[in-house]
Amino acid sequence: MTLKRQLLLVSLLALLLPWAGCEFIRETESALRNGQQQMLAGTARALASTMATRGNEYPPRLDLPLDSLASEQHYVHALATRPTIDGYFDDWLLDPNALSSMRGARGSIQLAMGSYGRMFYLYVDVDDLNVVYASAQTMILDDGPRYADRVSLISVDPPEPETQFVFAAEAPGAIISYRKDAFGFEPEPGISAHWQDVPGGYRLEAQIPLDLLGRNIGLVVGDTSSESERAIRSSSYSGRSPAPSVALSKSLTAAVAELAQPGMRILITDASGWRIAAGGELSAATTSESSENGWSNRIYDLLVEGGEAAESAEPDPSGRERQPYVTAAIAGREMASWFRGDDSGRAIVAVAAPVRNDGEVLGALIVQQGTDAILSLTNEGLARLINLTLIVTLLVAGALIGYASWLSRRIRHLSIAAEDALLNETLHAALPSALAVDEIGDLSRSFSNVLRQLGDYNAYLRSLASKLSHELRTPLAIVTSSLENLEHEELNTASAGYTARAREGADRLRRILSAMSEASRVEELMEHGDPESFDLRAVLASTVAAYRDVYKNREFKFETSLDKATVTGSPELLIQMLDKLADNAVDFSAPGDTIGLRLEADGSKLLLAVTNPGPPLPEKMRTQLFDSMVSVRGGENTRHLGLGLYVARLIAEGHGGSISAENVEGGVSFVIQLPAEDSR
Amino acid sequence: MAKRIAIIEDEAAIRDNYAAAFKREGYNVDAFDAREPALSAFDSRLPDLVVIDINLRDDIEGGFELCRELRARSADLPIIFLTARDSEFDAVSGLRLGADDYLTKDISLPHLMARVAALFRRLDAMQKPQAANSSIRRGDLAIDTERMTVHWRDQAVGLTLTEFWLVHVMARYPGHVKNRQQLMDAAQAVLDDNTITSHIKRIRRKFMAIDADFNAIETVYGMGYRWLSD
Repeated sequence: MTLKRQLLLVSLLALLLPWAGCEFIRETESALRNGQQQMLAGTARALASTMATRGNEYPPRLDLPLDSLASEQHYVHALATRPTIDGYFDDWLLDPNALSSMRGARGSIQLAMGSYGRMFYLYVDVDDLNVVYASAQTMILDDGPRYADRVSLISVDPPEPETQFVFAAEAPGAIISYRKDAFGFEPEPGISAHWQDVPGGYRLEAQIPLDLLGRNIGLVVGDTSSESERAIRSSSYSGRSPAPSVALSKSLTAAVAELAQPGMRILITDASGWRIAAGGELSAATTSESSENGWSNRIYDLLVEGGEAAESAEPDPSGRERQPYVTAAIAGREMASWFRGDDSGRAIVAVAAPVRNDGEVLGALIVQQGTDAILSLTNEGLARLINLTLIVTLLVAGALIGYASWLSRRIRHLSIAAEDALLNETLHAALPSALAVDEIGDLSRSFSNVLRQLGDYNAYLRSLASKLSHELRTPLAIVTSSLENLEHEELNTASAGYTARAREGADRLRRILSAMSEASRVEELMEHGDPESFDLRAVLASTVAAYRDVYKNREFKFETSLDKATVTGSPELLIQMLDKLADNAVDFSAPGDTIGLRLEADGSKLLLAVTNPGPPLPEKMRTQLFDSMVSVRGGENTRHLGLGLYVARLIAEGHGGSISAENVEGGVSFVIQLPAEDSR
Repeated sequence: MAKRIAIIEDEAAIRDNYAAAFKREGYNVDAFDAREPALSAFDSRLPDLVVIDINLRDDIEGGFELCRELRARSADLPIIFLTARDSEFDAVSGLRLGADDYLTKDISLPHLMARVAALFRRLDAMQKPQAANSSIRRGDLAIDTERMTVHWRDQAVGLTLTEFWLVHVMARYPGHVKNRQQLMDAAQAVLDDNTITSHIKRIRRKFMAIDADFNAIETVYGMGYRWLSD
């Protein structure tokens, strides 16, 4: 990873800033909400104790398990308008969830009960694929229209006996309903009802005067598959008689409406959670603001603690409040909850307090309040925070990127300069940032130091051979002259043999020393020699002819497309260079191989390639090959000190050219590049 | 009477070896290890030939100084530099001071003896009238093998012993290419490519000082050199 990317990553730490800000906002919001909750809880407690004084308004607590009782109770919704009796539910203006359901013989049965004015309304939707209508004859039987599909409303006002209102149709449309009680079975003119056929069943809507009904209400649906069979009964209650129905208490509702402050909603439930009073409205969400700051709200929603969905704060359409905090209050425990809208971010705080009378929980009082104040405060803070941190983050990231670019540019320059110095052997050149006081300056200085030491070392290596040969020459002269004198003494055969061997050794040593000082002599010659202009082509042709004589077990091939290749320099030295390359090529090829020499023009340069078949050069040696005392030859070939190619390089460079080695297919090619004086 | 050779050499082993070799050849030898004792000895009597090392102990250029002073005392005293310093610059400096030959210490004793003998022969030849049959003529070139002198267009060319031998071997059979080995044998020395190149360059330069258009020595690239006669 580049330095720039690393610093970019580091700059991401600036994002901790908005995170911290959000934490702060969240804390603030939570503190505000808690305050509001506590305030609301006080209100709820006060209201609950007020409401407890109206103990008689609450439905009596039944000695049944709460849930099984509630499932048998019916909630009589307070309707906003008077429904038309036509078999349609939509003019009840209730949520479809307000429909409660029970199991029928052939599917489910949906039903709803409501009241408007002095009238009770019933809506039943029965799934029945085979609707059996009553016929005129069957209507007269004592318990109603036997052998026909029918709906019965059971009403009891304990300890009175039960009354049944039976709805059965001879045909779809308005139907006559019957009343069946202790006095008999007869049509009830006060009731109007409508039977509507729908695919897969039928619907019944009925209007019954409240006076006809008792407190406990139940529903029984009879289903028959033909006129000759008894109906299968489905009942909304399990006991002998239905449970009491629940409806809004008028006096409690009125009281609550008075107590509710603007923006506050108060609900009262009975001990089963049935809503018996509701008043007040939550203030409407400020939609204009939310659309304007939609993006910040969205971020806000992401960042702040989410509550329950705001919709669930609404009164339950079924009439029974089952929120956990309400259940807790019914169990005698005051509890708070809060809600948040999806879009606006508006929070609703709610508190449920138990309504107690003589230590007995009559029900629960629920107070809800919207928190626009919190929203606007946190929203504004959030917007400012986000803008600020965005700017700060961008600034920090920008600054870091700039800084990183500057740093990496310096480091890059340094590394390029160091590589250049290494490549061009200008090891004493000054590197960039050498005067800087920071770590890059230190790096540059230590780089310079390393390069300088490397340069010194290289220079030392280069001069080592000639120095060594120089120093060894005198002791060698002592040995040689001593041996030569010894040869003039009287020697026995053994001594003569030893002397001859010593002479051989000394001769070899002399040749080695002379090879070692060759480089310095070549340098000297190039420094002092006067360059001449000559045709390299002719020189090469002549030299290659000489090689054919010297190396009789190799083929030499000289190719050129040039008519003339004029070069300035010393032909003798170039031949010496060629000698080294030819010697090298012969050493690395096998008898019978062809060593190729090729002279080509490349722009203003001449390329001379000496190619021999043989083993490839080790890749890592390719550039070092031309250094002093570097050899790729195996250990057995000791007469090579690795100076030949170094001399070749000295000569090539002394002529303003260069030398390189590359592996070609099946062999090795040494290429010398020389500046041409003119070439065609 | 035996010739007297002076050796000025700071390295005792070499000095003694050379002295022994010269004595074996029948020369009288005076050996010195520094400039001053040699000069004070020469005050009373000059030797017949001097072999000088350039580097005399701490006196790095002592040999050059000695050569200059000896040349001042005698114009025809044969002086040979025998040194470990093989640089072209030193060789040129030494010869410019009037030395008759500049040898590096890797020369073998027989080669050295041959040179010394040749120098004495030349000295003797100089004192005799010129012998007619000892001269070779090749166009503008005249070689006196006895006196070891070379004339180009009747002007003397001042060659060292090595240079003379090189010219002699090439000019004896004009047109024949002489390779390195042949040149080495003729010059009684072990020469590498660069030394031969240097010698040939120096010879050419000396001829060109007389005749700017001199081009009788041809380089046969990769093979050697030959003398071209018109």
